[in-house]
Amino acid sequence: MAERDAPAAEKPAWTWSWTSVLVRRELLLVAVMVIIVVLSTLHRSYFWSSRNISFILADSMVITFVALGQTFALLSRGIDLSVAPIMGLSAVIVGFRAQDHGMTLLPAVLLGALVGLVLGVGNALLVGIVRLPPIIATLGTLSIYGGLQFVVTGGRQVDHIPVQYTDLGSKTILPGIPLILLVGLAAVLITALVLRHTVFGRSVYATGEDAEAAYRAGIPVQRVTVICYLVCGLFAGLAGVVYLMRTGSAVATTGTDTNANLNAIAAALIGGTALTGGRGSALGAIVGSVFLSLSLSAMVFAGIPPIWQPAGVGGAILLTVLADRKARRPIGRRIAPTWLRLGVRRRPA
Amino acid sequence: MTGIALARRHRVPAWGVTLTLVLVAELFYFTLTTRHFAEGGKGMLVLTEQFVPTGILALGAAAVILTGNIDLSAGATASLSAIVVGSELQHGTGMGPAILYAIGIGVAVGLFNGLVVALLGIDSLLVTLATQFIATSLATSIGGESPPYNFSPAFQRLGTGLVGVIPVSLLIFAVLSVVVVTVVTYTGFGRALALIGYNRSAAEYSGIRARSVLVSVFTLSGSLAGVAGVILAAYYNSARDDIGTTLLLPAITCVVLGGVDIFGGRGRIGEVVVAVFVLGFLTQGLLIQGRSSLTATMITGFVLIGALIIKVSVERAAGETLLAATRRLVGQRTAARRPLRSLLDRE
Repeated sequence: MAERDAPAAEKPAWTWSWTSVLVRRELLLVAVMVIIVVLSTLHRSYFWSSRNISFILADSMVITFVALGQTFALLSRGIDLSVAPIMGLSAVIVGFRAQDHGMTLLPAVLLGALVGLVLGVGNALLVGIVRLPPIIATLGTLSIYGGLQFVVTGGRQVDHIPVQYTDLGSKTILPGIPLILLVGLAAVLITALVLRHTVFGRSVYATGEDAEAAYRAGIPVQRVTVICYLVCGLFAGLAGVVYLMRTGSAVATTGTDTNANLNAIAAALIGGTALTGGRGSALGAIVGSVFLSLSLSAMVFAGIPPIWQPAGVGGAILLTVLADRKARRPIGRRIAPTWLRLGVRRRPA
Repeated sequence: MTGIALARRHRVPAWGVTLTLVLVAELFYFTLTTRHFAEGGKGMLVLTEQFVPTGILALGAAAVILTGNIDLSAGATASLSAIVVGSELQHGTGMGPAILYAIGIGVAVGLFNGLVVALLGIDSLLVTLATQFIATSLATSIGGESPPYNFSPAFQRLGTGLVGVIPVSLLIFAVLSVVVVTVVTYTGFGRALALIGYNRSAAEYSGIRARSVLVSVFTLSGSLAGVAGVILAAYYNSARDDIGTTLLLPAITCVVLGGVDIFGGRGRIGEVVVAVFVLGFLTQGLLIQGRSSLTATMITGFVLIGALIIKVSVERAAGETLLAATRRLVGQRTAARRPLRSLLDRE
């Protein structure tokens, strides 16, 4: 709240926003998740079994990684629509190396990150250096990378992954806590630290909030934007490796066919990241993806056919945005609570 | 950069001319290098059947993008409409009512988008992202296990029929383009679209009812998506739940290639129509040459980015002639940095 409503001079804006974001969004989501869990468990007791919970958590990790990267793009007031084929390409390239040459896990992760980074360079150049509108530039790279993925697979597919990959994807350390969740949490922790406590992280927020002001304040806006898209590609590349661990397979349409793009954006948005830049957090990315995964699983348990899952995602986006008054157009005076302002005539700002 | 579409009304549309030249060159190239492309002009016309639905979606998308919004649900709405018209036909509804239902559902989705965007003030990207998911689910559930197929020849004529040598669907596209171009170029509504996209506050201060204009433009996009869905169903003689979804990105590509500013406020629908043909013939030509569809997709991506780079770099030198711009670029490469336009324009 403080970031936009009160000038930064009055309060230490960052600590203020930290608490308010926590109270406003993540806790709210967790509360809703608890309600969903309780209701579903009452309905079918199997829902609260360690197996199901660990499945839900592990299932959300792929989207968590993509959403973490997307958070950087969104924070800098951009968007990256090409993360799905980046993830797919990384899954396919790493998968082939692992399948045909028996590549071990550590090089696989590095290779996945490298693939993501290299593809991220394309977006970074177009958005950061040439300064094309992010949505169009990444729409273009979406087509290009998608085609590239077909070229790389060349009609083959990955389906024989060494067990060490799938082990990491399916093992649990405690009942209900999958190993892969720890990896995801580590990534979130690092991202959160970078975003909150480094000069670069603060510059990302400043750039997204008001690029002109950030520029005048001496922040290298262009460099920050470039790095944001690089990081976004990097995380999408890592997500590809995580996808391999989870499913043990990868095909020419991996990433695109499961709608990784929109799901990741949805997860980030549900987690409180704003499309208008400058607002959001790493925690939001993971909470948003777990929320998505959980509510989809709850829908299955409630007996709703899986074809309605996309509608569930859509509904979740609409509801969370409706509940968030900062996602609205900041126009006019706040006469009534925003969700009541339906009939109130709005004055132009 | 300065001056909205109003001020440049009577200038020769440089981008449109460029696009037309590209289109002509492209047609010549494919006619000369590829057998079965032209077929005495007839083949070329029949090829348009393949991309008319994309073009119809692009018309709606262009109008929405002019206001600085975006409609991501158009593709899914087209799928929904295709499924609706298909299942209605299979249940024995007459052709007229079935088509009306399908377009009606497009209007309904568009109206919903418009109302949420305009009244609640939520970013259209979010709203239409959500309705895209919802429309997809609806389409899948209506389609059921075995999506409808095998319609009456009369209905199929909408997609594959010919009037003389001209495909019916191309005629429909022509009529729709003329209507949309006229409305956007010559009516107050069209001016309002561009002005809202250029500066919404200014538009509201000058007495434009921004909210009702927004509702109308989303409804327009929805109804056009409905029409596109009907033609898709007629063309493929079946309706799948992803039949229109894949057309969304090409449609937006056409809009951008047509020179409409993605942040709204500038652009001509007529140029979008030309861009539809440029992109459509390019894709079909490559396919006929035996390239795979993924090559065509990749080339589409390159064309989009390339065109945009050219356009943006020309526009950054707005108000100058090409010669002056070149001279400036050559002469003052190290001079003051250009303003951060692309980053700032969203506000």
